[in-house]
Amino acid sequence: MTLKYIVSPADRILVTGSSGFIGVKVVEILLEYGFANLGCFIRPSSRLDRLKERLEQCPSGKNVELIKGDLLSRDDCRKAAEGVSLVLHLAAGMEKSFAGAFMNSALATRNLMDAFLEYGQPKRFVNVSSFAVYSTLNLKRGAILDETCPLEEAPQERCDAYGFGKLKQEELVKQYGERDEMPYVIVRPGVVFGPGKRDLSGRVGIDTFGIFMHLGGSNHLPLTFVDNCAEAIVLAGLTPGINAETFNVVDDESLTSRQFLRAYRKKTGRFSISIPYPVTCALCLLWDKYAKWSNYQLPAVFNRRRCSAEWKGNRYSNRKLRELLRWQPRISMDKAMEAFLGQFEAKSR
Amino acid sequence: MLRIAIIGCGKVADQHVGAIHRIPSCRIVSVCDRELLMAKQLCERFHISECFSDVQEMLQSTHPQVVHITTPPQSHFQLAKQCLEFGSHVYLEKPFTVTAEEAEELIEFAERRGLKMTAGHNYQFTLEMLEMRRLAKAGFLGGKPVHLESYWSYDLGDISYVGPVLGNPAHWVRRLPGQLFHNIISHGLAKLVEFLDDELTEIIVTAHQSSQLRLLGAKEVLDELRVLIRDKSDTTALFCFSTQVKNLNQLRIYGPSGSITADIIAGTVVRKENRAYKSYLTYFLPPLKDAREYLRNASVNVINFVRQRLHQDFGMKELIQRFYQSIQGETPVPVPYREIILTARLMDQIFAQIYTDNEAQECHNEVNRVHSDGRLPVARGGITDRTRRSASS
Repeated sequence: MTLKYIVSPADRILVTGSSGFIGVKVVEILLEYGFANLGCFIRPSSRLDRLKERLEQCPSGKNVELIKGDLLSRDDCRKAAEGVSLVLHLAAGMEKSFAGAFMNSALATRNLMDAFLEYGQPKRFVNVSSFAVYSTLNLKRGAILDETCPLEEAPQERCDAYGFGKLKQEELVKQYGERDEMPYVIVRPGVVFGPGKRDLSGRVGIDTFGIFMHLGGSNHLPLTFVDNCAEAIVLAGLTPGINAETFNVVDDESLTSRQFLRAYRKKTGRFSISIPYPVTCALCLLWDKYAKWSNYQLPAVFNRRRCSAEWKGNRYSNRKLRELLRWQPRISMDKAMEAFLGQFEAKSR
Repeated sequence: MLRIAIIGCGKVADQHVGAIHRIPSCRIVSVCDRELLMAKQLCERFHISECFSDVQEMLQSTHPQVVHITTPPQSHFQLAKQCLEFGSHVYLEKPFTVTAEEAEELIEFAERRGLKMTAGHNYQFTLEMLEMRRLAKAGFLGGKPVHLESYWSYDLGDISYVGPVLGNPAHWVRRLPGQLFHNIISHGLAKLVEFLDDELTEIIVTAHQSSQLRLLGAKEVLDELRVLIRDKSDTTALFCFSTQVKNLNQLRIYGPSGSITADIIAGTVVRKENRAYKSYLTYFLPPLKDAREYLRNASVNVINFVRQRLHQDFGMKELIQRFYQSIQGETPVPVPYREIILTARLMDQIFAQIYTDNEAQECHNEVNRVHSDGRLPVARGGITDRTRRSASS
């Protein structure tokens, strides 16, 4: 079975961000595939309950090594990368500041890649990125967004520190791929959802002043259930012949923002107000103009770039993922929604 | 046109760049970080032409007249001295230095070379603090303050900052003699020091760890601090730093004839005259007067917003601008050196009381020690031992 993969069960695999929302599932699926020589890199401040619970449930989980450290420390990276053949790099900076996001995404990745090249036995570095790197400014409403779409050129203008960190991280990975011949694959998940993540995506709307403003209208959401997304990441690490490829991860079946919110509201009883796209667009433009005019007395958190990326409305393709990785969602959308909504208590009314 | 450089390209540097860009007659000519990638990302985002990973190279290549140092405090002394030796004026982020001794040495060195320095006490220059200072100078208090209170809250919920600090015993914040306090309390103490004499006759300190922090881990980090101070002329001051009291950032000054409360979070300056009212009027008039004060404050804030003066980093921009003006116009520095040194001395004394000498030394040298019995290694046994009193000379 393992012959079809680039690594064997004896090879060492490192998973960063392994205690996170997606990371725990990635570890679980790797164990399920028979890869038990795992190093799980975790921050000293990470909560480990979910990861430990999953490891205890799996017989081979007891062999998994938990490596506490900070990717900003080269020593910690060296310890983690020693003898590693495959890195599944999920750790991400969730900082709101640009410098913080850059440091925890790009700089941390640079340290890890250096250590991987020097102390590992590099077969592949899988960099988990995000849809936040795309710009849809010049894409028509309803057009298909796939791996060939342009990347954001002005993340600062979009006021998106996370996207900036991810863009710079991808740049570095590609640079290492070209300059140091580091084998790599980039995975860009869409909106990952599932039990354990209660917040709604900004693509659905924003929660402000106690009111949920629904801005997504009838746009299709680039949804991917956490189990499906995790399997795509694992396959991106194992499948041969895909060096330097990039994969968008979205599930086969999609829901519109309205359908998603309706199901959520039915379960939670939350109140929301729908704002049509032209109004959202006009408000974002006004906000942006005022921010610039007032010399950023108000930060330009709403602007045309963000408006376009999050609320314009596109369709999404997983063709490449299906064709090259032979991936297919292990959980259907119905079951995924059931699992996601199951974490909320029924509304009290 | 003043030529500006920045050393340290982390989060705080972004705020400095944003503020400097709103000040006329100055230009950022270069930035430096020992991680060249950090310097590059700052240059790229703010269209700054030169970035370096070596301080000396930056100084020699771009000849900045002013250098902003926004690195961890442990490097402040050495970097500031290097910039002063080169002939640049220096803006040092808070805390100014790790110890008062270093602060005094730096200031003396700068004065000898005819250069100027300032500390990043930007909260001293918010609109509220400027108004409070104006009122105090105009005599609203009716004399020297009798009592001062400074409250500074810090929300542990912001895990993006406190998470790495608590999770990593080698984090630079944990290596400071005053740990978490050391990196934050200078803002709140500087407010008090402005109104106190140089000679502090009594300092009583108590510190403990909140139950919230205990749950987050890091047994040896304290996060609740209270300090009672008395100066030579018997003005008393209370400083309260808390992670459990939320959204409280205030300075209250009580004088013989009136009191002023500056609330940095709400952006208000509330005046109160010390006067008595006859009979039941004492229940009606003071609340109405308070209501009028808050209404006035709300109006002022709206006007300031319309006039584009309500930037969230107003204090930093104001401090930087005043510092530049002091350099260009030979006017006094915005934060008097007396206040910088007194703040540093006060911090030294506070940390000396809550941390034993040996333990403070350990913070410098070896910080990855966690007691298995769960006791607080930085405090002396029980609560009474952590409440200590000292007289300063």
